[in-house]
Amino acid sequence: MKASACLILMALALLADGRAEALTFDFKDSKGVNNVVFELDAPLESIKGTAKGISGSVTVDPANLADAKGRIVVATNSLIVPNPLMRAHLLSKDWLGARSNPEISFDLRKVGDVESKGANVSEAKVTGVLSLNGISKEITAVAKVTFMPGRLREFSKGRLEGDLLVIRSEFGIKRSDFGIRPGEFLDKVSNEIDLTLSLAGAAAKGR
Amino acid sequence: MTVLLRLFAVLCAVTVIACWFSLGAHLGWTQTLAPVKKSDPVTEIEFTDYEARLVPGVDFLCAGLLGSAAIFALTFAIPNSRKRR
Repeated sequence: MKASACLILMALALLADGRAEALTFDFKDSKGVNNVVFELDAPLESIKGTAKGISGSVTVDPANLADAKGRIVVATNSLIVPNPLMRAHLLSKDWLGARSNPEISFDLRKVGDVESKGANVSEAKVTGVLSLNGISKEITAVAKVTFMPGRLREFSKGRLEGDLLVIRSEFGIKRSDFGIRPGEFLDKVSNEIDLTLSLAGAAAKGR
Repeated sequence: MTVLLRLFAVLCAVTVIACWFSLGAHLGWTQTLAPVKKSDPVTEIEFTDYEARLVPGVDFLCAGLLGSAAIFALTFAIPNSRKRR
């Protein structure tokens, strides 16, 4: 009787330990690692820049990505291209209108087709609403998600304890879909914008 | 005067070409921020930092060479003082 009770307790303890919980990962990054690279084709050289003003959070159970919910925000005025005149044009009201649209956001709605790519690494189809230039549109992209348990200490150089979630994705959008000079200057700036996201979110323990 | 201006124009053109070559011979637009690739050792995320550095592009080269050519062309508009005498 005593032995079976012990076994039941052990089994319950194991179950409880194995049941992963949803964690909230904060994507505001003080290290300046998180970035979104954007690239547009142009005649002399492609226009390539980076956005680093990233914030937002994602709540996800690393063992069950399908239930993930969250929002990633990029500050429009954090977009940088190496040419100052080009940057001024990009942020002006004629293009992205950084003053009237200070944020570019992605609201995560659905995660599907989750496929394991190894220990703590998965690939999934992520669907959400991308808001850019005041226009919101649903998009779907493939994302590689890496859960790094206990690695926040190393990432934060010993300041915090916790886990990391790394999201990588490459996808394309059309500027005409978001009202960015649709049908204009197509010979100078392509309609297609290639985006590459590399984001690390931190779930600190004891916060 | 004419000879001096022509020499100045040639000097300008040579300086512009030398600057363009020595600062990277960049075939795109002029950059005031130079991208520097970095990688985070923990997450292996690659990211770009920008350092304030002038990287002259073909617009700089063209403007410099056109300016030099304009100075050179101007010398033909100046009346030759020796011939006048």
